[in-house]
Amino acid sequence: MLPKVQPLAASGDQAVLHPHWQQDDHLIAILADNARRFPDRVALRERDRGIWQEYSWQDYLEQVLSFAAGLEQLGIQPEDNLLVIGDNRPALYFGMLGAIALRAVPSPAYPDTVPEELAGQLKRESIRYALAEDLEQVDKLLQIREQYPELGTIIYDDPRGLAGKEPPGVIAYTDVVARGRERLARESGLREDLLRRATAHDVAVLLHSSGTTGTPKGIPLKHGHILAAVRSAAEAGYFEEGEVHMAYLPMAWVGDFIFSVGAALVLRFTVNIPEGQETAFHDLREIAPTLFFCSPRAWSNMLTRIQVGMDESTGLKRWLYRYFMPFAIELERRRLEGQAPTAGERLKRAIGEILIYGPIKDHLGLARVRHPYTAGEAIGEDVFLFFRALGLNLRQFYGQTENCALAAAQSADEIKLHTVGRPFPGLEVKIADNGEILMRGENVFDGYYQHPEATAETLRDGWLHTGDAGYMEDDGQLVVLGRVSEVVHTAGGERYIPTYIENRLKFSHYIKDACILGSGRDYLAAIVCIDLQAVGHWAQENGVPYTSYADLSQRPEVIGLIAGVIERTNTVLPEAQRIRRFVNLHKEFDPDDGEVTRTRKLRRNVIDEHYKAIIDAIYAGADEIEFEAQITYETGESGVLKRTLAIRDLAVEEA
Amino acid sequence: MFYRLSGIHHTRYESARQLWPIPMDRWQIYVLLALGLAAPLLFSGLYLTSYLLPWLIMSAAALSLTLLMGIAGQLHFGFAAVMAIGAYSSIHLVRAGVPFELALLGAGAIAAVIGSVFGAAALRVKGLYLVMATLAMQYLVDWTIINVPAISGGAQATLQTPAVRFLFMPLASDVSRYYLALGWVVLVTLLILNIKRTSLGRALVAVRDKDFAAAVIGVDTVKYKLLAFFTSSFLGGVTGAVLAFCYYRAVTPEQFTFNVSIQLVAMVLVGGLGSVLGAYLGAGFVLLVPIVLTNVVAFLAGAGWLSVSTNLLAHIPLMVYGALIIGFLLFEPLGLAKIYDNIRNYFLVWPFRHSRS
Repeated sequence: MLPKVQPLAASGDQAVLHPHWQQDDHLIAILADNARRFPDRVALRERDRGIWQEYSWQDYLEQVLSFAAGLEQLGIQPEDNLLVIGDNRPALYFGMLGAIALRAVPSPAYPDTVPEELAGQLKRESIRYALAEDLEQVDKLLQIREQYPELGTIIYDDPRGLAGKEPPGVIAYTDVVARGRERLARESGLREDLLRRATAHDVAVLLHSSGTTGTPKGIPLKHGHILAAVRSAAEAGYFEEGEVHMAYLPMAWVGDFIFSVGAALVLRFTVNIPEGQETAFHDLREIAPTLFFCSPRAWSNMLTRIQVGMDESTGLKRWLYRYFMPFAIELERRRLEGQAPTAGERLKRAIGEILIYGPIKDHLGLARVRHPYTAGEAIGEDVFLFFRALGLNLRQFYGQTENCALAAAQSADEIKLHTVGRPFPGLEVKIADNGEILMRGENVFDGYYQHPEATAETLRDGWLHTGDAGYMEDDGQLVVLGRVSEVVHTAGGERYIPTYIENRLKFSHYIKDACILGSGRDYLAAIVCIDLQAVGHWAQENGVPYTSYADLSQRPEVIGLIAGVIERTNTVLPEAQRIRRFVNLHKEFDPDDGEVTRTRKLRRNVIDEHYKAIIDAIYAGADEIEFEAQITYETGESGVLKRTLAIRDLAVEEA
Repeated sequence: MFYRLSGIHHTRYESARQLWPIPMDRWQIYVLLALGLAAPLLFSGLYLTSYLLPWLIMSAAALSLTLLMGIAGQLHFGFAAVMAIGAYSSIHLVRAGVPFELALLGAGAIAAVIGSVFGAAALRVKGLYLVMATLAMQYLVDWTIINVPAISGGAQATLQTPAVRFLFMPLASDVSRYYLALGWVVLVTLLILNIKRTSLGRALVAVRDKDFAAAVIGVDTVKYKLLAFFTSSFLGGVTGAVLAFCYYRAVTPEQFTFNVSIQLVAMVLVGGLGSVLGAYLGAGFVLLVPIVLTNVVAFLAGAGWLSVSTNLLAHIPLMVYGALIIGFLLFEPLGLAKIYDNIRNYFLVWPFRHSRS
């Protein structure tokens, strides 16, 4: 048990908690140091009406200090929380650091938070000051203020629709800065005082858990946590000094604070802020960053855009693409398996770089990216291989808000698709008996905001209980399977997470749905629903005749195809979790039959009940089963359909 | 494939509006400029003086005309007359003792004044009627030059250009004359490129697209039409003087007949109305393609692959040339410059078909 869970306890106790932290090693000191050593280097760029407005480190510090001086005049106290809401804007970054300089705590919120949720956050954290991007956010806050009059001061950035007719208590960011500048000119010594107030043990930012289960919990991260996380990641080579970074992800997400503020200060990034969310990808091309992060879904969307673009491209270009792209993907696949390309292949790759890979990267704005990352969920093999084949060293990393988002990442030269790589130096990782991933290190937070029960549950003896299940591979790479709450056991006591294996199977576009069986059984098996479009297309190309979905699913060629997919997935699974048998279902899981929810999440109990005969046959060792299917017609009537389904065994080679 | 656009960003509007923001375009310009400067080293005297030099000067003439026809939309079928005024003015000015540099400006000014007088017709008439008005200028100027001995030196006379110095350099060698022509065409090119992105250029385009609509939005059409004639005639006059001093080195009225006017119009049309690049391509096409075709046909006939009468042989190049012009205009009505633009776009969006926004 950790006795000191209150994040805002006196700093004397904190020094005991983190003996390695230097008192004066904090974000503001680093900012001042940058401004002193590199006054003219560009720290921040914002695209405004088509051109990029630049702020040097000197300007950055000036804005932060002026805002801090102005904000103090408005009466903010240390340990007060400052709501920050809006899209990425320089003023909001300056504002956050200004508050930090006063030892106040910025509490960012997602710009699309609805008023009720926002009101909850304001009340829970007794927020009296807010920094909002524009009229929309100010309106939202004014509406909340009617029930929550404590919210006394709202500072806005974008003057459109607000300047000149501010309601009481609403003030422009520029006015606060102007007042602060006046104070700085008037009061000698204030500047040095502001630079010295913060300490490494102060909370730098108050972030929030997603709140999918109950109300969001506040997660205070201290200067020391953030610096430890950034430095250990930099030490492991995950970013370098002077990266060009694009700040387009929400400011309330932990990654943005770590990348755009923490790492940006420590490693002197140039942070680029797009004109708006809609223009982010256009602006990306203008900047061509060297460090780029986006979610697996966004990478996947990017791939779709390329494929659609190539499909409608002209003959020669399309021919070249179809010649060079599969080659590069195959080459990359073999490279990940440890085969070095031959000299001829390298030459062909170089020609492809000029003709196809380079231009595509140029179009995406990723021509200069040295560190492309993804995190958050598993990325599909196709997507992952495609971008790696383009020559982007795409890597996955893993982390939670509680450990500053930086816990583990794949290293540049050892990529295994199913792992998230090795933990960062200085971070201890172990697997609990129930399979949960535990972590301890300087970047692990000290407890939830005013929530001792949750803290006691998550932090035990300094070990962060991530709630994720996983295991360590023999070479020290961490595999994340899914949430601990989803773990299932086989009869032999083997732990596995069905959704993890199912998602791996579904990375193949031939498989639409899959249901992994094995709870309380001897081994794992799968019920597979093929994707009619993809498999149908495959059948056409390979001359496999079929009449219907049910017919197609039982063609020996198709069963062979699916067996191949499963066998490939099996190679990345631990031996006991490999799929031994599977059956191709004669129909898709259907929400009308209650087998999946409307959002296509499996309802396992319904599937177990509907297909009990099939499941029993699989585990009885039968080679096929004659199955009487209950089907519900769209008119609401139900009927019975008799089908013979083949059950295939899969060779599981010994690892 | 060759174009790389990522990483190009601007911190000021001035740089966002520069002529060639894309590095690949800039490289093309550098290469062309270097070729132009190194041409005396690369080509023999014959190629320099009988191909490259007239091409550059006629490009300058086509640029002057494209300002009027392509950008301001005022048809002009008597541009050779404007050049004739410039050529004769410069010679008479130099003979009267005016320094060559000032004589060039004077030639431009006289051509501009006379050109604007005839251009004043454009205030009243448009389209075919303007063509007639400018044709009248062509014939009036031709007649005046031939019939006023003070200008032409007599009905069949040829006026030799006196020896001159330009900025203290004697204009005595082919190479020095080449560089003067190159300097002039570069100057005209930069001028037209910049006119296109100024308020003057936008006003002219507005007048071209619909003059009364332009008047409604506050463009003074009288002023801008006259300004277009004035500027274009000034440039045409100086080009005529450069043509006389650098290429012909002697002037006769036959050098500036109606045929030349039609050739100039053809250059502008084949190259692409209003396009700077088009002026170069059009001038090159109109001047050089007939020569190339004649040589090709002569070669084929010499090798015995083309056995036709000598009479027909002389006409085949003309027939092919005519067919080529029609072909190009059918294939791409917006001219050679548009063909270049299409090719550039093909590579600009490579490997996609459209630019993605």
